This record gives sequence, structure tokens and C-alpha cells, in this order.
Amino acid sequence: MQQREEKQLEASVESLVTRVAHLKGSLQSFIYKLENEYERLTWPSVLDNFALLSGQLNTINKLLRNEKTPSYRSQVIIPLLLSPDRDEELAKLTEQRVPVFSHEIVPDHLRTKPDPEVEEQEKHLSAEAARIGPEVAQKQIQTLNKLCSNLLEKLNNPRDDRDSETSALRQNKPSSNPADTNALVAAVGFGKGLSKCRPPGPVASGHPGQPMMSTGPTLHQVTVAGSSSHQAGMGGQVAQQQPGQPGKMPSNIKTNIKSASASMHPYNR
Amino acid sequence: MEAPPVTVMPVTGGTINMMEYLLQGSVLDQSLESLLHRLRGLCDNMEPESFADHELVYLLKGQQGNPFLLRARRSLLHPTAPWHLRYLGQPEVGDKSRHALVRNCVDVAASHSLPEFLNEMGFRMDHEFVAKGQVFRKGMMKVVVSKLSRVLVPGNTENTEPLSLSYLVELSVLAPAGQDTVSEDMRSFAEQLKPLVHLEKIDPKRLM
Repeated sequence: MQQREEKQLEASVESLVTRVAHLKGSLQSFIYKLENEYERLTWPSVLDNFALLSGQLNTINKLLRNEKTPSYRSQVIIPLLLSPDRDEELAKLTEQRVPVFSHEIVPDHLRTKPDPEVEEQEKHLSAEAARIGPEVAQKQIQTLNKLCSNLLEKLNNPRDDRDSETSALRQNKPSSNPADTNALVAAVGFGKGLSKCRPPGPVASGHPGQPMMSTGPTLHQVTVAGSSSHQAGMGGQVAQQQPGQPGKMPSNIKTNIKSASASMHPYNR
Repeated sequence: MEAPPVTVMPVTGGTINMMEYLLQGSVLDQSLESLLHRLRGLCDNMEPESFADHELVYLLKGQQGNPFLLRARRSLLHPTAPWHLRYLGQPEVGDKSRHALVRNCVDVAASHSLPEFLNEMGFRMDHEFVAKGQVFRKGMMKVVVSKLSRVLVPGNTENTEPLSLSYLVELSVLAPAGQDTVSEDMRSFAEQLKPLVHLEKIDPKRLM
């Protein structure tokens, strides 16, 4: 009887150790990937890693729950010999993580109770649970179950059902205005609604890239003043086609010497 | 908007004729944050790039009807960066089933004497605006979310007024001519942004 239990214990501990070793290996490779291949990592591969870890944790759980596994709670580990000297065997077994089996490491490694903070939190939670009373607790459990089943139903049902009801809800909050779209596209396409600030007058070549509009009218006035005495219609030899002008300014380019003032540049635009 | 008769086509000098595939939409100011979050998740992982540009559109009126249009753009955030000059052709009237607006596109960088040069060439500034927003990239696709503002005093980019209560969203790809898979990719990406913003092919001539 004892022997069988001992054999069972040994076998289960061994399988547990191998499973934990697998888990450790996958955790190590995941951490390595996160630290070193950070730029190349994509979300699906991170999800894969998490899935692997969760699968391995699941198998460990199943192993622990297995009926063949004896209850570990009934086993007790007592350190028989503590020494502050370095133990090579132990160091090799633990991959240099535990070189000395001494008084410092024993409380951490052979701990069976949870950490003090965790214990506090658990005490709080159980006090809270006891406080609210059984009926309230039952109602909360029922609400949680209902929410979970609703969510599962929504997730499992075909997409069409979901789309029709959500589209009906979303009508209330439009996030784009088609009129605005048209206005913006027209503005970017050909300047609809942007040219209103242009005063209707000839544009000057004096200060390109500067407010051409403001100097345009003034130059217009200067040329008119300068050539007012020579107003004889479009008699100029060089009748210029002035591009880009809404209104035609008579090009008073005269062969008459008098009209050649500083403002009357032949390429006046 | 045909090229003037001096050269038949924009001078490409042996480079590939690039086409711009474009889808446009808009999003209201209040839904901007959710759109930016979605774009940050969908697009390539990088810091969102903000920009503030001042675009001037120059027209050259030829003898025949259609004027020739050039767009000059400079960054307000990087005043020493070169200007960007762009020619966009007429949208290609291909098969109606193509999902994106396709037009010829020529981009060059220019020095800061660009406005003077264009004026000397005979171009006149038709209109200008300021665009501020963010740029996202996904592979070859570029998503630009920008707020367009009207320049109230010509040349003064400090004093601007927003054109509307929405942000313009543009999805564009620059690719050589003839690649129709591009518009398929753009359409599937646009699907993922619904219903926040409906990106579609909008013909600017329809809005004239």
C-alpha cells in the first residue's frame, strides 16, 4: 500500500517536473523574443506564444487534477541539513540558480503559504464575501452568469444578425457629414470656397510669394496715374495678353518716350 | 487642365510615369479621436507624424480653355525644408468598376525661390490654404487626416479659419500605371474604416 503510493508520488512528481520544464522553456524563448526581436514582432505571433503558455498551464492543471495524482498537501518537506557552503550538486541541478542550501533560501523555496500581501488580500475578499450575505451573493452570481451567456450567444451567432442591429443603433451618431466631404474635396480639388479673399484686380509681379493681392491694386493705380495723359485706348505696339486676370486692364505700353515711367515695365502684368 | 502646348506631357525624363490612386472622405471633429485610434492600430507601427503645410495653387491660363494647375506646398513646421511641387492630371476615365480615383502625378522638390519662379513663368496663384493633421502609412498606402483652413489675409498663414467642422481623410497610393491590385487593397483597407468614415472615389468635376 505504502509502496504503491510512493510509486505514484514519484511518477506524478516526475511528470510534473517535465511539464514545468516545458513551461519554463517556452517562457524563456518568449522573453528572449520580446527583448531582442521587438521590432519584428507581430501581434499574431505574440498571441501564439500566449496560447502556448496557456496550453501548457492547462496540461499542468489537468495533471494535478488527475485522480492518479496523490494529494500533495499531505506531503511535507523538511530540510534536514542546512549549510552555508556551496553545494555543487545542487548548483548543477538548479542551473546555478541555487548554489547554497542555506537559511536564506529555505523560507522562499520551501514556502507553502502565500505571500503576506496575498494573504491579506485573500482575507479581505473572504471578509467581503461573508459580509454581503448569501442572497445577495446568489443574485450576483446569477447576473454574472446571465451576462456571460448573453455575450457567448452574441459571439456565436452569425454576423448578419449582429450587423443589422448594430447598424440601427449607430444611426444616432453619424461620424461623417457628406456635405462636409464634398466641400472639403472641392476645396482641395479646385479651390472652391477658398478664392473669396482675392480682390478683383490685376496681380503684380513685384513681390511674388508675398501678398500679391495687396500690391496689385496699388500698382494698378500708379499705372493709371502715370499714363492718364496717354489714354488713347490700346494703341500700344505690344498688346499683351495678360494671363490670369479677371478684368482687363488696358495695356498702355506706348512707344512715346514720356510714358516710360519706372512703374510702366513692358512686362507689366 | 491640359498641359500647355510647349510640351505635350509633363517632362518625366526617363522616370516611370507615376499614378496616384485616391480615395477621399471626411470625419467630424468629434469622431476624430476614434478614427485616429483605429488608424494607429491598423497602420504600420510608428509614431504618428503631424504636419502643418501651406499649399499654394498656381494656374497658367493658356489660349484654349483649360488652365494648367500646379500645386506648391511648404511645411510650416520645417521652414527650411524644400518646397514640394506637384502636378496632378485629369482623373483617368477607365472602367467604372475601378474603386479609386486614378490620375497622373508628378512630384518634384523645389527651392525657396519657387513662387518667384512660377510667377516669372507666368503662373498666377489662384488660391491657397493651410492643411494641418497627421499622416499614417500602411505599406504603400498613405492615409492623411487633415484640417483645411482658409487663409484670410493672402500670405499670412497665422490668421486662418477652418473651412468646415470636419477633417479631410485621404487614402492614397503612388504607383506606376496599370496596377489594378492597388485599388483592391485600398478598398479593403477602406472597409476597415467604416462606419467611422466612408472613403470613396469622389470626382471633383462632379462638384464644380
